[in-house]
Amino acid sequence: MRVSLNWLREFVDFDLSPEQLADHLTMLGLEIESVERLGQDIKNVRVGQIRSIEPHPNADKLTVCQTDVGDGQPLQIICGAANMKVGDKVPTAVDGAVLPGGFKIGRRKMRGVESQGMMCSETELGIGEDAGGLLILPEDVSIGTDIVSLLELDDVVFEIEVTPNRGDWAGVIGVARELSASLGEELELPDIHLITSERQQAADVSSVTIDDGELCPRYAGRILVEAEVGESPAWMKARLHAAGVRAINNVVDITNYVLIETGHPLHAFDLDTLAEKRIIVRRAEDGESIRTLDGVQRKLDRDVLIIADAKQPIAVAGIMGGENTEVGENTRNIFLESAVFNPRFIRHGSRSLGLITEASQRFQRGADPAMARYALDTAAALMREYADTDVLEGVLDEYPHPERPRQVTLRYLRTNEVLGDEVPPHRQSKFIQNLGFETVEETSTASTFRVPTWRHDVKEEADLIEEVARLHGYGAIEPEIPKIARRGEDLAPEEMRLRRLREFVVGLGYTECITLAFGNPEDTQAAGLNGGAGEMVTLMNPLSEKHSAMRTSLLPGLLRTCAHNLNHGVDDQALFEMGPVYFPRDNQTLPSQHSHLGLLLTGRRRPPHWSEDDADTDFYDMKGYVEAILEYFGLQSTFRETRQPTFLSGQAAEILAGDKSVGSFGQVAPGASRAYEIDADVFVAEFDLDVLLAIPQSPPQYRPSPPYPPYLRDMAILVPRGLPAGDVISVVWENGGELLKDVQLFDVYTGDRIPADKKSLALNLVFQSHEKTLSSNDTQAVWDRIVAQLQERLGAALR
Amino acid sequence: MKERLETIRQQALEEIAHSAESEALEQTRVKYLGRKGELTQILRGLSQVAPEERKAMGQAANEIKEAVATALEKRKKDLEAKELEEHASRNRADLTLPGRRPRLGHKHLISQVIEEIVDIFSGMGFQTATGPDIETEYYNFESMNTPEDHPARDLHDTFFVKDGVVLRTHTSPVQMRVMESAAPPVAVVVPGRTFRVDNDASHSPMFFQIEGLLVDKGVNFAELKGALMHFVHSFFGKGIAVRFRPHYFPFTEPSAEMDISCTVCGGQGCRLCKHQGWLEILGCGMVHPQVFRYAGYDVEDVTGFAFGMGVDRIALLKHSIDSIHHLYENDLRFLEQF
Repeated sequence: MRVSLNWLREFVDFDLSPEQLADHLTMLGLEIESVERLGQDIKNVRVGQIRSIEPHPNADKLTVCQTDVGDGQPLQIICGAANMKVGDKVPTAVDGAVLPGGFKIGRRKMRGVESQGMMCSETELGIGEDAGGLLILPEDVSIGTDIVSLLELDDVVFEIEVTPNRGDWAGVIGVARELSASLGEELELPDIHLITSERQQAADVSSVTIDDGELCPRYAGRILVEAEVGESPAWMKARLHAAGVRAINNVVDITNYVLIETGHPLHAFDLDTLAEKRIIVRRAEDGESIRTLDGVQRKLDRDVLIIADAKQPIAVAGIMGGENTEVGENTRNIFLESAVFNPRFIRHGSRSLGLITEASQRFQRGADPAMARYALDTAAALMREYADTDVLEGVLDEYPHPERPRQVTLRYLRTNEVLGDEVPPHRQSKFIQNLGFETVEETSTASTFRVPTWRHDVKEEADLIEEVARLHGYGAIEPEIPKIARRGEDLAPEEMRLRRLREFVVGLGYTECITLAFGNPEDTQAAGLNGGAGEMVTLMNPLSEKHSAMRTSLLPGLLRTCAHNLNHGVDDQALFEMGPVYFPRDNQTLPSQHSHLGLLLTGRRRPPHWSEDDADTDFYDMKGYVEAILEYFGLQSTFRETRQPTFLSGQAAEILAGDKSVGSFGQVAPGASRAYEIDADVFVAEFDLDVLLAIPQSPPQYRPSPPYPPYLRDMAILVPRGLPAGDVISVVWENGGELLKDVQLFDVYTGDRIPADKKSLALNLVFQSHEKTLSSNDTQAVWDRIVAQLQERLGAALR
Repeated sequence: MKERLETIRQQALEEIAHSAESEALEQTRVKYLGRKGELTQILRGLSQVAPEERKAMGQAANEIKEAVATALEKRKKDLEAKELEEHASRNRADLTLPGRRPRLGHKHLISQVIEEIVDIFSGMGFQTATGPDIETEYYNFESMNTPEDHPARDLHDTFFVKDGVVLRTHTSPVQMRVMESAAPPVAVVVPGRTFRVDNDASHSPMFFQIEGLLVDKGVNFAELKGALMHFVHSFFGKGIAVRFRPHYFPFTEPSAEMDISCTVCGGQGCRLCKHQGWLEILGCGMVHPQVFRYAGYDVEDVTGFAFGMGVDRIALLKHSIDSIHHLYENDLRFLEQF
């Protein structure tokens, strides 16, 4: 909300610079988002009176005016506007004048005739949007008066963020009240001098009926007759402009002006358009509709509160008026509304209609029923003065539910306990009183206060403690490091394990990605994963199709990231993500959430180096990383061939730790790569960390290293080409006895030197004893047994 | 005999001086001091010298042997040094050629910032706690004193999964989950993903928060300030000014927002701080009694404070990053900078 400094000063006296005021309000909780200085750059613009208007000899659309600015000799000014007449008083920029934006005015020739200044529109003065003609000033202003002081253009506007709990701050008076409380200055609310006309009683002209007092605790109206709808005075336009509100006509402008001043929304109906001139506040009937002021035809239902006349809806209560009862140029008689509506109902209606207005925002924060009446009379008085209307005697004021004032007790000791400070009792109660609370009862240890009608937010003691803290100043409370009592058990032991794992994977050379945890069926299925109906957690109100569901795998995000980086010329990638994936779950309120770890490799195996040839990443690189991660968890890994659409067949495996499947890895299938616009061989792995972390781990037990050196012997064997190397190694182990300590496969050969249906495997066998240094004699028997078994069971032959 | 010794001495020293390589020098050593070397032989033959001369001769021969050995040693050192120098000049490593580097991984900036913040608070005694990303409306809103139709819900543009189930809009629901599962005292920090229907220059629909909660007998606002100031000074540096100003959150009362002096201009005013000199960092306050009632805690027995901060914003501020979207684009050229 935009608040003008000049406007504030009408209600409270203070001696603060704009910067100090901004700081002061911010530290009270009215956060100032910006400070804007108005009128500062306007210089040498004065009230001028037009003495004569002659046509320009060389231009049809221009006139040559003689304008008196009080310097004796009138100025000759060429003008392009057409709305003025001789005798009008207008803002006149004289030679050397400056307009907003640093725009300088001087003597110059226009189409061969000298112009000695410029007469200004409101747009040129930066106080309005009407650029259609000159700003015509009231007749009674003195010629030569500086326009900045005349219209109070020299102002400072504060943009204030009003928190949702403080509806009362949404008006100048509310801000002034806060200021008065914090500075200890009086709040000066002017008395309203409303002169009413006795020619008719309001109640004889119109009536107000409220269907449900819960939804409309108060509805007050006044009848204004024979109004002259026209332009508002320039000062009011300037203020509205400062507040960021467009001027429309005097009647609408006054309702807006009072809204900004009091924070209370008003509405003016064209009385003569109301069927039977009646006002009924009720729920809309299903099937009713209304065309609102924004020109939109809106369907209504039972959950929307409306204002109706005898026949039809004429306004969506507290949100927006209807077009059919709008005040326009031809309006003569007006019903002026000032009401209080149920905040929850307004919020609900505003949301279901998708309509957020100045009024709805204020009503849903809670309006002040006392202010409703004050605002009504203030507006009526202004209408009488500036719309030349008579205000009929009597108020149509239905107030079925006067709210019983709440009482809240504050214990002084409690305040100090909560704040960790010593605020003396008399200061505490003074702060609360300054805010407009009345003391109902006071003892040496506590006070009970009556909550003012505008403070819907104050419900219990904690709310009063906050008021004391605000006025005492948060800054006045000395900080202290808390003494924290430690608990025995760890609330999230898995967190530290995940963190260490992240560290480990980074150490393997992988760079961590964090992708948005959304997903969508198409991307999911493109990655060869399940994404059908019921297989993903979907959102009711997604931002886009791309984010229509929650991800079930980290692979789509990694593939997208890979594609992005390939597109940006980064060919070598080792990426990982650790994060949640989500699955729908029957018979449970919440879906299941699992932590996953995803890896992606593409490009060269190692950073390129001048001394060696580059090698591309392959299946066994990824397998090595997968093995390393399982070993990090202290687990033996085994692998089982898997066929999943994600992976290129024959280049994929399910990862097993013991008998548990903990994930899978492999080369991404060409179809999936294509779908993600990746033109490279990409290898991925994904682990379910919830499963992995749940596998019980026991601390590794020490095994003494043999004191005698190992005896090494290499074995080269020919086996059928399709035989898994693991089968050979298993047979070796099974027959190796106690002395065999390790088996390393160090070469796999297929090629010209051996039959085409064979492959050659070279193994390095490590024998070692705790008793002595071994020789070939000690191991020969084992060796022979291994060779015999390999031959018998696998058809292997020594090379 | 004496003359012969003198000749040997001169010859030996000359040959040593002229040995240009270690190998030649070694041959010289063998020639004179080896088992069959000339000096060795003379020393061995002393027994045949007349006894009256033996002593003087022996002395002389030993002196020469010493001198030759010393010269040999010195020459050896010189030659080695020379040879090393020659080797170096032939085999000097080109220090400007790149080394063989292993691939280096990088932790995501968000992870780094979370870990740093969590470590600062765990140093004060806060434990880590977590909760589900997909939450019930009850935990996300209602138990946080934000009932249906509360205007504060407008500030949270919420993703709905189904009626009553949302993507959590903040990490605050974990406050309630922790309090339901543990009796006070409770001291936790909660890092996690949060979601809001918002995607523009300064918002991402997913972002990270860290929540903090301390509940015990006698916890007060002064301690809230102390804990958070300690955090700021540890994370951003000692010279950073901190201020707390009143704000509104449904689940705290009194509530505050904490600002730090601008990390770019130091408070003078610049574009980053919108010429205010201050940057908003987090929201905090004393736990609202209504929240304690939902948790089943006795509002007369315990008090508490809570805070919540946007990890993304803090990361952007600390590292002068101009857009939140860099964080989730995962461009390696970005990720590798941290």
